[in-house]
Amino acid sequence: MTDLVQLASSGLALGAIYALIALGFVAIYRASKVFNFAHGDLLAFGAFAMVAASGIGLPWPLALIAAMLATGLLAMGVERVILRPLVGRPVFVTVILTIFVGYLIRTAILLIWGSNPRGMPTPWEPTATVEILGAKVLLGSLAALAGAALALVAYFLLMRFAKLGLAMRAASADQESALALGIPVGRTLGLTWLIAGMLAALAGTFLGMFPRQVEVNLAFVALAAFPAVLVGGLESALGAVVAGLLLGLLQVLAQAYVNPLLGHFGHNFHMVFPYIVMIIFLIFRPYGLFGEAEVKRV
Amino acid sequence: MPNRPLAADYRDARRLWAGRWERRGLILAIVAAIVFPMVAGHNALTIANLTLIAIVGASALMILTGFTGQISLGHAAFLALGAYTAAVGGQAGLPFWLLIPAGGLVAAAVGLAVGPFALRLEGLYLAIVTIGLIFLVNHVLLSFPDITGGVGGIGVPMHLGFAETEGSVLTPFSETWQLGGIAIGFEQKLYALYALIALATVLGLRNLALSDTGRAMMAVRDHDLAAAVMGVNPARTKITAFGVSSFVAGVAGAMFAYQQQYLTVEPPFNLLLSVQYIAMIILGGIGTVFGAIAGPVAFVVLTPLMEALGRQLPLISELSSSQQSTLLFSLLVIVFLIFEPLGLYGVWLRIKRYFLAWPFSY
Repeated sequence: MTDLVQLASSGLALGAIYALIALGFVAIYRASKVFNFAHGDLLAFGAFAMVAASGIGLPWPLALIAAMLATGLLAMGVERVILRPLVGRPVFVTVILTIFVGYLIRTAILLIWGSNPRGMPTPWEPTATVEILGAKVLLGSLAALAGAALALVAYFLLMRFAKLGLAMRAASADQESALALGIPVGRTLGLTWLIAGMLAALAGTFLGMFPRQVEVNLAFVALAAFPAVLVGGLESALGAVVAGLLLGLLQVLAQAYVNPLLGHFGHNFHMVFPYIVMIIFLIFRPYGLFGEAEVKRV
Repeated sequence: MPNRPLAADYRDARRLWAGRWERRGLILAIVAAIVFPMVAGHNALTIANLTLIAIVGASALMILTGFTGQISLGHAAFLALGAYTAAVGGQAGLPFWLLIPAGGLVAAAVGLAVGPFALRLEGLYLAIVTIGLIFLVNHVLLSFPDITGGVGGIGVPMHLGFAETEGSVLTPFSETWQLGGIAIGFEQKLYALYALIALATVLGLRNLALSDTGRAMMAVRDHDLAAAVMGVNPARTKITAFGVSSFVAGVAGAMFAYQQQYLTVEPPFNLLLSVQYIAMIILGGIGTVFGAIAGPVAFVVLTPLMEALGRQLPLISELSSSQQSTLLFSLLVIVFLIFEPLGLYGVWLRIKRYFLAWPFSY
């Protein structure tokens, strides 16, 4: 029982981070039908920016805001300079482009901060734990859950009630009609990328905390979050959150309970397992949990 | 002046090498390919062999992504399957002429198994599921170290005949042959073999592009529902594309294994390899046979140049050489995608049109 609580808490904390990452993908995909492969590198950039911001003496909350803004502005710049000229070209081109933009960001990180891993600053002791139901839960895990929950609520409120959210939904439904109705689609897209970048930085901050470190390879965690995006349905923010949490749980539980069953084959099996689940899931529901089947017209 | 007679009937339009200049260019290319190994040094031959492998691998991706429009990021997985078939078979003493097609068949079997997913999934969903394929294949390869060598890697012996006949007339492929006083080393032999395979692949690709199967693929790429209305079976076309593409990729993987002589799983068979192949076909010109040759040639030949350039640039020289070339290539691909969507093929078209219309500007 204690084991299970322990595992569930770390699974949910990981899942909350996956949910933040998946939400970043979905936000951009809904707005512009672009799947942003550079998201992982934005996340790593955010984590490094956070380390740098606390390094110059900013208090933790201010440093977090600064890192989120820096990453958001970077994402906005990428959209404005590199992706905007491609509006109207096949989506394939744009998607491939983001892969290479990711490499550019990764090289920029290496050039600015080098390849040495660092510890993520936290306002509490990095290894501090809280006792819940007899299990020792990292304070960082709880913070990740709480931070993710706050960000998700803020995102949903924004989409539901704010003028900007309304513009975003309109732009994602039909860019041309939105333009005709006087919605500044370009600016809305830029702001979407800003929000996605901020989400990435937040995810990066929690991801870089103990027991992990801040390094360029944090970007690969975004690859591990892909199953959450697809199972949730590319169009659905709610699906991304639900699938992200499930993915984190699944991965941690598989590591504890499935890997030992498989003997030698089970070594690192939990990294592949979500992909297997995703593939099986997609056979039965190719558009994900909450995605909508597209109606095709000739 | 037009360099080919106008296509007056259907047969004309389907001719393999239609124009006078194309035929002359082909003869020139063949002569150059024969003379090259006689004059080239060791490094140049290695680069040439890598180019030939890349041409075969890029042709495979061109069929799937360029012709059929199925975005696959799992190309590295098919290459890995072909390469490890060659390695494991070679350890068991099988000859290379059996293992190169066998590598293709193993990859094709997996490709055909993946094909049905492609029917359910479109665009991005397919791209990401094929990333999963890389993880799966690599996990399986690493999980049986007794057979595949696991993390430590595996040697790839290249036998000329079955191992039982060793010690009789046949010598291993890697030995230097003496033919009338001319020494033919391993690199030269590999070059001759790979040049033939690459030529066959490119001719096959060209034929495919002209055939009804190839046109069905392009119809599916442009609009699969419209293609279905016109009587093309999209399901069968997509699965054919997956099968053919993964077969050719497996062959390229086996070629790569023999060229490297020692294999590990990761690197080279990771997402970066898939992305590099995508970069090649974009650079060359997506959906064209020209691009399947020009892209890999540009990629493999430019890589050492990019590294040399990277050493000269102030900030970039602090990075490792592979990071330098990745960075410069990313920039190159981004510039091409934004300004020249047809890649080198687009550049070539523009040059050709300029000279065809000369001295007029249009």
